[in-house]
Amino acid sequence: MLPKRFDQARPFATLGIILLAWLFVSLAVKTFTRATFFEIQAPLVVADSYVQDLQTFWSNRLHSKDELLKAGQQIAGLIADYDYGVQQNKNLEAEILRLENLLNLPPMPAFRFEPARVARRDFSGWWQRIVIRKGKNYGITVGSPVVFAGGVVGRVTEVYIYTSVVDLITSPTFRLAASVTGDSRPLSYQGGLNDSFKSPRGTVEFVPLDIFANSSSPQRLVTSGLGGVFPPGLSIGEIKNLEPSADGLFKNGEVALDERLGTLTEVTVLVPLNPEEF
Amino acid sequence: MRRLDLRWLIVLLANLLLSWLVGTANSYLSHFSFLWIDYCSVHLYVGGLFVVYSALRLDSKHGLIAVALTGLIMDSLEPVPFGTNMLLLGLVHATLLYGRRRFPREGSIFGIVVALFANLFLIIALSFLMVGSNPRPGEAWLRIFVDLLASQFLILLIAPWFLALQDRSMQLANIRPDTGRRVAL
Repeated sequence: MLPKRFDQARPFATLGIILLAWLFVSLAVKTFTRATFFEIQAPLVVADSYVQDLQTFWSNRLHSKDELLKAGQQIAGLIADYDYGVQQNKNLEAEILRLENLLNLPPMPAFRFEPARVARRDFSGWWQRIVIRKGKNYGITVGSPVVFAGGVVGRVTEVYIYTSVVDLITSPTFRLAASVTGDSRPLSYQGGLNDSFKSPRGTVEFVPLDIFANSSSPQRLVTSGLGGVFPPGLSIGEIKNLEPSADGLFKNGEVALDERLGTLTEVTVLVPLNPEEF
Repeated sequence: MRRLDLRWLIVLLANLLLSWLVGTANSYLSHFSFLWIDYCSVHLYVGGLFVVYSALRLDSKHGLIAVALTGLIMDSLEPVPFGTNMLLLGLVHATLLYGRRRFPREGSIFGIVVALFANLFLIIALSFLMVGSNPRPGEAWLRIFVDLLASQFLILLIAPWFLALQDRSMQLANIRPDTGRRVAL
């Protein structure tokens, strides 16, 4: 019979053995187990978003015909605007192609746009992520940029069969090469300032000393297109204040991010057409 | 013939249900308005509740299986090294097993107190692991403190229900949680 003292410590001994065994489990097994446990819960994760869609559908069905006619007129106006935008876009694309050929420039990275519904949001002080309702079944790849009407949403970090996980630009783990509109010099952006009662903010580092910003005249921060998969010119936020860094060589500051990031229901994943380009 | 003992599965399913409910709540609490405050964001964490029933009512083997699988389920949904929650929950489970002979295991008030302390430990441990990546850890701790208060308040509200749910599930399955024997009807 085991001594009483050991008998009491048995839970810790068992845990220690499990810890040792866990350390020797191969990464492939851990990755497979993680994916399996996620897939088991995936139907639960997306279920409430489908229920919400159904709720929206039935609440829309309750609108009167007059309301629907008015909405239709507004949408017709929007479609006319967008048609004009599409026309302009085609002209600009043709112009870019002409210049690329003229200057022998490499082509801009091409993307396929994949709209996806947001199934779940998970915003904490530790991480900021969303789960979207498209995954390998729609060819989503790890690292793909995710955008919405207000600019950058984040980057796909995990892809499962029917769902994907997106790390948001508000997350402390999100870093990106950015630049100020009208200036090609790269800065470093990092998310992570997520107070409970304030809009989300990020930080910028390595800002050149000749760039100035304050709350009355903020600077728009956009993606630089350097060192990553994000195409240049996508909006990140506004730099509201800048202060000299400790070494005095650069400036650091805060970036106000779009409040709508907390209520996203629909995003677009930019799936690279040639992943080997990145 | 040896009968299949599903106590760990009952507890695991209850934990999965709570995990889903809290995840859904977190999704809605990611951005909301409250009174005069336009922007509020709260994250609820109830990891402490997942250990209480396993540690206080189940036997050590089934309790450990339920806790380990619950930890892995949490790990699969969080951007932490896979196994972090399993080991943290396992540590809380082992600590409770160590002293459970001296505890009043049946009372739900004691269960609530244990859940609150376990949750406090888990949040602090996870915060120390995760906060290093934040550009301003001081501000991150303020956010974590607000989330901690909200989580502890939620545990205070739902712990009696959750413990009763697991007890009732065992009753419906006619199983005694501590021994696994059939309850005579």
